Amino acid sequence: MKKWQIFKQGVLQELPLQLGVFPFGIIYGVMAIESGLTFLQALLMSSIIFGGASQIAFVQLLSNSTPYGVIVTTVGAINSRHLLYSISMVEYLNKLSLSWRVTLAYLLTDEAYAVSIRKFINHSDNSILHYHLLGSGITLFLSWQISTLLGVWLGNDLPEFLDLQFIIPLTFIAIIIPMIKSKSTLITVFSSGISALIFKNLDINFWIILSGLIGILTGMASSRWDKKL
Amino acid sequence: MIWSLIILCGVITFLIRFIPLSGIISSDLPLSVKHTFKYIPLAVLTPIIVNDLSIIENNNFFLIENFKLYAALIAIIVSIIWNNVLATISIGMASFLILSNI
Repeated sequence: MKKWQIFKQGVLQELPLQLGVFPFGIIYGVMAIESGLTFLQALLMSSIIFGGASQIAFVQLLSNSTPYGVIVTTVGAINSRHLLYSISMVEYLNKLSLSWRVTLAYLLTDEAYAVSIRKFINHSDNSILHYHLLGSGITLFLSWQISTLLGVWLGNDLPEFLDLQFIIPLTFIAIIIPMIKSKSTLITVFSSGISALIFKNLDINFWIILSGLIGILTGMASSRWDKKL
Repeated sequence: MIWSLIILCGVITFLIRFIPLSGIISSDLPLSVKHTFKYIPLAVLTPIIVNDLSIIENNNFFLIENFKLYAALIAIIVSIIWNNVLATISIGMASFLILSNI
């Protein structure tokens, strides 16, 4: 297979996933404008951070006047899973030049990883496999920028009766429910949720971080009794 | 200030994705550390959801006329059954609009 064919394969395999990504980008764009960001800030955040759930959390926290330190920590925590993606890609990408590794690291998001890691595992002997990740990553990048632009553009023109803030918890529900695959992950959800209720009402500034830590610790502590749900 | 915040978040996100590929540090994390990563997104996103549902307002439980809570429960069921982002958001939103206008 030639480089161009592998690149095209990455693009084509990534395209169906855009059915889920595109509405998500529009929602982010709308919420970003609602939260008070300027057109340019909302738009460029999609290329500077390039991480869907973390960007939505960013604008949600910003509109609630959350301390900046909490926003940064939350974005980092949400995107921390990408560290694992990157680790699992090392054996396929470590021989590439620095500019290639920088580019591919930037493009390494959930959907691009999901599509390309399968290709990597099944064809690990091929030296031009990285073109697949380039194809899937660029497709996702373009789709995310276009959908953000659409959302930012729609942001000012949506009817008042739509309580758009409510889209955020709904979006996060759609993200986390498929992640609950074992007892310990379910315990993480319950313990972090209950902690958030308590800490928020005690007016603790860092309630998200604190409840998140409790969620992680209870999840880890209960993992020894884990059973698939 | 907002620009600095966006750029800082961008740099952190990039570093998370780049550090293992950079070769600067060993990418062999202990299994126990890798294991904790699956809990982090859940533990961070759940508090945001709970907060947005306004279950407690002014130190009192707000449950009976909390249409967001009911709509969120419907969205959870939709997500469990179909595992589809668009269906979860649109049915959840529609439920909220219907419930709050009855």
